[in-house]
Amino acid sequence: MIALRIDDIPVQAEPGQTILDAAKAAGIRIPTLCHLPGLSPVGACRLCLVEIRNWNGKLVPACATPVQEGLDVVANSDRLRELRRTILELLFAERNHICAFCVANGHCELQDLAAELGMDHVRFPYRFPPLPLDASHAKFGIDHNRCILCGRCVRACSEVEGAMTWGFAGRGIFTLVAADLGDPWGDSKTCTGCGKCVQACPTGALFEKGRATGEQEKRPAIVAALTERRPRAQG
Amino acid sequence: MKEIKVPVTRIEGHGLITLRLDRGGKVAAAKFHVTEVRGFERFCQGRTVWEMPGVTARICGICPASHLLCSAKAGDAILAVRPPRPAEVLRRLMNLGQFIQSHALSFFHLSSPDLLLGWDADPTARNVFGLAQAHPQLALDGIRLRAFGQEIIAALGEKRVHPAWAVPGGVRQPLSPEARDRLAAKLPEARRIAQDALALYEARLPEWGEEIETFGNFPSLFMALVAEDGTWEHYAGRIRFVDADRRVVADGLDPARYPEYIGEAVEGWSYLKFPYFQDAGYPEGLYRVGPLSRLNCCDRMGTPLADEALARFRAQADGKAVTSSFHYHYARLIEILAAVEQVARLLEDPEVLSPRVRAEAGINELEGVGVHEAPRGTLFHHYRVDEHGVIQQVNLIVSTGHNNLAMNRTVAQIAAKYLTGRKVNEGLLNRLEGGIRAYDPCLSCSVHAVGRMPLRVVLLGPTGEVLDERTRDA
Amino acid sequence: MPKVRVATAWFSGCSGCHMSFLDLDERLLEFAGKAELVYSPIVDIKEFPDSVDVTLIEGAVGTSEHLHLLAEIRRKTRLLVAFGDCAVTGNVPSLRNPIPRGEVLHAVYGDGSIPGLEEGEVPQLLPQALPLHAVVRVDHFLPGCPPPPDRIWKFLRQLLAGKEPELAPQDLRFG
Repeated sequence: MIALRIDDIPVQAEPGQTILDAAKAAGIRIPTLCHLPGLSPVGACRLCLVEIRNWNGKLVPACATPVQEGLDVVANSDRLRELRRTILELLFAERNHICAFCVANGHCELQDLAAELGMDHVRFPYRFPPLPLDASHAKFGIDHNRCILCGRCVRACSEVEGAMTWGFAGRGIFTLVAADLGDPWGDSKTCTGCGKCVQACPTGALFEKGRATGEQEKRPAIVAALTERRPRAQG
Repeated sequence: MKEIKVPVTRIEGHGLITLRLDRGGKVAAAKFHVTEVRGFERFCQGRTVWEMPGVTARICGICPASHLLCSAKAGDAILAVRPPRPAEVLRRLMNLGQFIQSHALSFFHLSSPDLLLGWDADPTARNVFGLAQAHPQLALDGIRLRAFGQEIIAALGEKRVHPAWAVPGGVRQPLSPEARDRLAAKLPEARRIAQDALALYEARLPEWGEEIETFGNFPSLFMALVAEDGTWEHYAGRIRFVDADRRVVADGLDPARYPEYIGEAVEGWSYLKFPYFQDAGYPEGLYRVGPLSRLNCCDRMGTPLADEALARFRAQADGKAVTSSFHYHYARLIEILAAVEQVARLLEDPEVLSPRVRAEAGINELEGVGVHEAPRGTLFHHYRVDEHGVIQQVNLIVSTGHNNLAMNRTVAQIAAKYLTGRKVNEGLLNRLEGGIRAYDPCLSCSVHAVGRMPLRVVLLGPTGEVLDERTRDA
Repeated sequence: MPKVRVATAWFSGCSGCHMSFLDLDERLLEFAGKAELVYSPIVDIKEFPDSVDVTLIEGAVGTSEHLHLLAEIRRKTRLLVAFGDCAVTGNVPSLRNPIPRGEVLHAVYGDGSIPGLEEGEVPQLLPQALPLHAVVRVDHFLPGCPPPPDRIWKFLRQLLAGKEPELAPQDLRFG
């Protein structure tokens, strides 16, 4: 077992666990967005940044940093709260996230986090980019206005379903999640229509067709439920 | 008409009236301008038809349920389904809740201060709080009646404003027995308040002869939905037009084919379009919608207390159409009573608690029109979609829009009567506002403001020079 | 104790926040006991008065007229509150922001006489509908579409008691 401290609480963790796992086991809340149990960690959204006191206050993503003996982790502080809020504000400013009529209104991780982290407004200028909605798939739709590029759909598609339909196209703020080589989703030759991407998506970006405002509840836990049932090579 | 520039720094509100005088000092032209647009017709393009009820409810916070339901009906047409009967029962219930709350707001909160405190009362007290001082019971009644309407909406859709409840194909959730009983328990009080307000209004009616004479009193066409048998209708039915003699000019019109009989004109001086009856042309095809029009168009209300009231209302015009827009107030109160009676009837419906409230379907038609009666009049949502259900084109004709020509004519009539000399005096200002307010315009729907728009009146000389400008000082 | 001078205004929005304020129901009478509504769509005063304690603004800044009134309100108000999602984020009115203004107006009005392209008898439509704080300093934010009446009441009661209003996380929810 490895001994470390999180928010001044002594915590024991297994080798190979992440700081996030250890904190969760100890009942300490660290907000996450791109992280989803059952998918490999990517540390993309930076919401789970924690501060390591004995690394000169260095900030590391808790979801992608393994525990080490003697780590002194700060998981919640004014500085971290301000950083996390800023990250959220940048996410909101980057695209057109309008909760009011969103299919995921009331069931959205982004919306929940904004409230939890006290984000009462966005201090950055909104970009208001013109972004498309693709409803060409028989069962599902994607609204790029609501996408935060967390990549949970991309990972669920490749790591769990094995279809590798979803990928990223473009660079920087112009990045879009794209099916196959940027075809309309409905024309995809690889999509199996399994819907894991939709269930993994934290916002209303991916949705089941026929869902009206506030009707799209997600079941992200199915990803872990599936992967835990699978035999795995021991390594 | 020559372009007239009004310095925008000096415009305070969302509604603006300009009066143009001729060389003889008479009113040559009067315009009621609506000063904002939000662009729903364009930005809804690219959204899905399933989201449209949620988006278009945000057209208006006063009658969001009306847009919600109308949009869902357009969605029904695109899915090519008829929602199960219990869904229709519940949608009707919500629309009636909308009528009660919106009409209560119009009468008690916005108009009764003028009617009961007087046109020349202190402007700082001429509001719902001033009413609460002068007539505490009436103000409390108004609050409670409006709350009853809102509670009906919340009992179905969980929220009073912007419930996400009606969807293409039906509604999201049924009515619970507890909510039904809670609403039923409040019916007696709602009925009592509606009857008291109507009695109070009828008792005071003789005092308002001058206003009845000048607040938009002119012959015109009237349009409304009526049921197949001619009964007052708010949710389904066919379009009927009657004239000032209450002769039926057109009947049984398919609401979905409105472009065949309604034209929409645009004037550069207002954000609100000008619908007109095509057979009569523009602008002669002026028609009115809303409570006054529905009562002029229908053969009967269909509930006992409201039918008695309708007979008294009709007596105002010896059975012909009631042509003064001042009587919108009267018609509105009768409709509150009718709505309360109909709510009572629906709560007793054997299917009101049924869980069969939604028909599921994909995209089966590429075009759909939703039409029903909102509190202020007939509402049209018209969508075109692609085969995936993505919106390609949207046309909305909102209730207040139909009355645009009539409101302009009303402004001209009041100005002609009350303008003396070249000054906009307090009396004129108050009556211009009162005339507009009778229509209970929901500029929020069409564009923006509501009820009490901060009006500014600009008086122009023959060459467009500003003779006088007037707003009420604090 | 003198009554708190409260004003409300609405810009590019649907008036739903004002309706939610009216949904205070009987609490409106309690409000009237502590505050004086000195300017609002629901009262009759036409000019924005001087020295207002608190102004709640619903809606985004969508026209040239809103810009002028917002500047005046800021000048004359001690505490400015962005009231509801449109004022806080731009919300539904901001859906037009990615689209060129001319295209929006042509879609609504066709090709004939089009209001709003230039300053004229109606105010010009701004290129984008913006949240209030993109234009002026805002002191408090009250999100929601609309903010539920209980949230409004929590906020107002603190203000009327002379306290700095604080809202719990669940009262900061958008949508």
